[in-house]
Amino acid sequence: MIPEFILRALLASIMVSVLLGFLSPIINTKGLAFLTHALFHALLFGAVLGMILALLLNSYSLVMIVALVATVVIVITIAELEKIGFTPDSAVGITASFAAGLTVLGFGILYKVMATRPYFPLTENIVSYLTGDIFLVSLSDLTLLVAGGTVIFFALLLLYRDFLYLSFDPEGVESYGGNARVYLMVLYVIVGTIGALIVQTVGLITLQVIAILPGAIALMVSNDLRKVLAVSFFTTLTVQLSSIVLAYYTAIPPSGIATIILGIVYGVLLARWRG
Amino acid sequence: MDAVRAEGLTISYGGKSALSDVTFTLEEGKTLLLLGPNGAGKTSLLKTIACFHREYRGKIEVFGRKPCNARELIGYVPQSHSLNERVPLTALEVVAMGGIYRRGFAHFRIPSKVIEKAKGVLNFVGLGGMENRLFRELSGGQKQRILLARALMSDPKLLLLDEPLSALDPSARAEVANVLSKIKNEKRVTMIITTHDINPLLGVGDLVMLINKRLIAFGRPEAVLTDKVVKSVYGPLARVIPVGGRVYCITGDFHIHRGGHL
Ligand SMILES: Nc1ncnc2c1ncn2[C@@H]1O[C@H](COP(=O)(O)OP(=O)(O)OP(=O)(O)O)[C@@H](O)[C@H]1O
Ligand SMILES: [Mg+2]
Repeated sequence: MIPEFILRALLASIMVSVLLGFLSPIINTKGLAFLTHALFHALLFGAVLGMILALLLNSYSLVMIVALVATVVIVITIAELEKIGFTPDSAVGITASFAAGLTVLGFGILYKVMATRPYFPLTENIVSYLTGDIFLVSLSDLTLLVAGGTVIFFALLLLYRDFLYLSFDPEGVESYGGNARVYLMVLYVIVGTIGALIVQTVGLITLQVIAILPGAIALMVSNDLRKVLAVSFFTTLTVQLSSIVLAYYTAIPPSGIATIILGIVYGVLLARWRG
Repeated sequence: MDAVRAEGLTISYGGKSALSDVTFTLEEGKTLLLLGPNGAGKTSLLKTIACFHREYRGKIEVFGRKPCNARELIGYVPQSHSLNERVPLTALEVVAMGGIYRRGFAHFRIPSKVIEKAKGVLNFVGLGGMENRLFRELSGGQKQRILLARALMSDPKLLLLDEPLSALDPSARAEVANVLSKIKNEKRVTMIITTHDINPLLGVGDLVMLINKRLIAFGRPEAVLTDKVVKSVYGPLARVIPVGGRVYCITGDFHIHRGGHL
């Protein structure tokens, strides 16, 4: 009999692999690494805000929802700034500095609020948010991850070709009658939403790496889109599952192991590519 | 009807003008070769006509409309190095891109009508049977023909081509030039083609425009391409050499060393 928390972890990692398997190649081809940087600040800000509200309102499931809303607001701000002429880098710089500043202020408030509560499990929660803790995924987290993830996955799938074309030639999309800016906005929102949905499983610290490397690896080993998606998906899944197993026996947070495995695979491939 | 009409057109970036006070008319069905040294404003002019660049003064009309209201009449073929080839698209997928954005928002599947048409235009540009080859693995001349095919998907009345011959070897240049002649003769599309090497295109060009931040000359090739005009733009080493009924331009793109060391 498999313990329930393991089952939840397995389900969560399958969902994460599906989402990242498809998203990661787009992040690479569209060059959205800068956006995942902003995501880091947005998600941390959202989490701190969510934890304050969760404590005040006594509802822990608020953390993920508040983080999601905050992140989506921030990625939309970035897209709007780009629209009026800021480069992606400076748009991220502006929004990330606000988010980072507010996060630090938020921590101050969070500690004050925590002091008024006799019992606060959230200290553990903020650490698990940073490192990711797949074994602590609750049933309500999992429900949100699977339900939200399914919706976002289908949106991503339906628009996949458009995102590829957007990466290939945005002016082409425009000149043949598509609206490149709207596609870009939708893509940003999808990236932000996926980030917020999976951050608890994957961990904020390693999110950037896990969002980028599987796609980078897949694009290196294959030319064919279907194979790229398959490699990206199975890379994420293999790494997720093996890190669950390892973490189960060693008690090291799984996301740390996952990231190191990915780094090694990527490094080996790069070395072979050159050599 | 006039395909393109510019009157006192000045194009600028952030208040700094890149091309000043250009006036010309291009009749429907004619092909215009747009010449000028680096930074002359060739791409800027094309992008303004295509509604990619909107900072301009004066008047510019495409089939009597403002550029941004004439988009469905225009096919724009970018310089191929502006494409992101990390994206693993097949030849057919690249061509289909030209035919799907008129309808719908999500294009998970390419409609079978579009696929049929894409195969047709691939045949037209001489690449029938190449549908499933990866775009990035094709030769330069093939890529350029794929981009032409993509532009033809929307049955444009005006084709704008930015340096379709650049970075191609002479045989690929001839290959692309042949397809351009075919488009001109069989589809009667109006074209504006920018180029550094005018020679392979003299067969297809009805008119030549020489610019360098402003309009230098506009007219029939033999009238525009004189030693004096060409030297004024490209410097004293540029030459125009008549051969048979044609003129050949040497603008400094080609260096042939004779004798001595290489
Ligand atoms: N996006 C931009 N922002 C600011 N200035 C620009 C921009 N694009 C072009 N320019 C300027 O406008 C002028 C004309 O550039 P353009 O690209 O139109 O020249 P070109 O004739 O196409 O040159 P090339 O032969 O090198 O392609 C140049 O001085 C260039 O620096
Ligand atoms: Mg140019």
